[in-house]
Amino acid sequence: MAAARGEGGFPRVIMRQQEWITLVVRVALAAILGTAGYAKFSEAQGLQKVAVSSYRLLPQSLVSPVALGLPVLEMALAALILLGLATRTMAICVGLLFIVFIAGIISVWARGLSIDCGCFGGGGTVAKGQTHYLREIFRDLGFLVLAAWLVVYPRGKLALDRMLGL
Amino acid sequence: MSKAARQRSARERLAEERKRQAQRQQRTRRLLVTLSGLVVVALAVVITVYFVNKKDEGTYTGALAPTSRQADGAILAAQPGAKAPKLEVFEDFQCPICHEFENTSGATIKRLAAQGKVNVLYYPFWLFKQQAEPIRGNSQRAANAALCAPADKWIQYHDAIYKHQPQEGSNGFSNKDLIGWAKDLGFDTPQFEQCVNGGQKQSQIDSMTNFAENTRKVTGTPTVFLNGQSLDLNSTLLDAKNLEKAILSAAPAAITPSASGTPSSAPSASASPSASAQK
Repeated sequence: MAAARGEGGFPRVIMRQQEWITLVVRVALAAILGTAGYAKFSEAQGLQKVAVSSYRLLPQSLVSPVALGLPVLEMALAALILLGLATRTMAICVGLLFIVFIAGIISVWARGLSIDCGCFGGGGTVAKGQTHYLREIFRDLGFLVLAAWLVVYPRGKLALDRMLGL
Repeated sequence: MSKAARQRSARERLAEERKRQAQRQQRTRRLLVTLSGLVVVALAVVITVYFVNKKDEGTYTGALAPTSRQADGAILAAQPGAKAPKLEVFEDFQCPICHEFENTSGATIKRLAAQGKVNVLYYPFWLFKQQAEPIRGNSQRAANAALCAPADKWIQYHDAIYKHQPQEGSNGFSNKDLIGWAKDLGFDTPQFEQCVNGGQKQSQIDSMTNFAENTRKVTGTPTVFLNGQSLDLNSTLLDAKNLEKAILSAAPAAITPSASGTPSSAPSASASPSASAQK
């Protein structure tokens, strides 16, 4: 048993490549977050605000800051994850962000609203029957798994953390 | 304890002390890296929210173009005889993106119309008639009141309605409020109140909605045609500068034909409304 399994229950073959896997996960997560952030960021501000307010969770005064700040938050996290700076902390932030997103979608679904999650830009109210909540939740769960890997195994190749002696 | 053992334990203690020191340094370094990462992210967000947050243009206070009611219920805002491109605005007062469109580009459109650089036709209609209450009723009452309002105060009333747009899903645009805003603008009359309270413009709402959806193939709002060409929501409608550029570079066009609502009137109307954000 000890021969086949390494730390964390993963086969040793995988654990031997862990630092490379971490690099791949970092690149993938950065690409996803960066794309999502940029798609929102490059939209007209009016659309971003409509996307945020369609969740009907935030008071009017918070819609605008969140609509503007969220895309930048995503892009900044993506950049640091890609560079590998404070990888574990950033991965925790990303994980929390995805948990918030998933909770938001579940809340919208439970309240019977029909919106597009606006995860990769777009968003706002859609016709009944045009919603894809389950798909959106599972997609975010998949991203959450990537973030979780980085929380557990933040050490990876080509990371600023390494160069800074962590 | 022998001398050798004492020496060894001293060496061990020294090594342990060094190891602990290295660990401390490592911990400090980790803390610094973590903090700097968090600071970078936080700064990026705060700076953007603080500096990029463009204020809406606010209420337009400049001169307005003369307005008149067309036979089909649309409001024309145009300088008499202005040779200018034609801008047709299809909107629903309950639609949040229409509100954003009004906030970002409304003032530009009014200014250009006042300068005789564009002739604007406003077609508020009942896009949300298939929606659940309260969205459905909000939309209907606002459309009705806008049809009851006199042409010469229409633009101001239009702005007042948008200003009070209820959040999607909440009740709003009550007849009492709709009459109150008319009072504020000084055109409240018994006839107007009757028109609002009795939903007297329902048949015109229906014909305008039919015109928008079936003749002009409008599937979402805001849909805006410049000389019959649907304008892109993201790049043009919600960007006042681009909208102004598009209007100023468009050719003059006749105002009337589409008013009759006959399919032959506007061959370009089949242009698919790419601006249909409200699917």
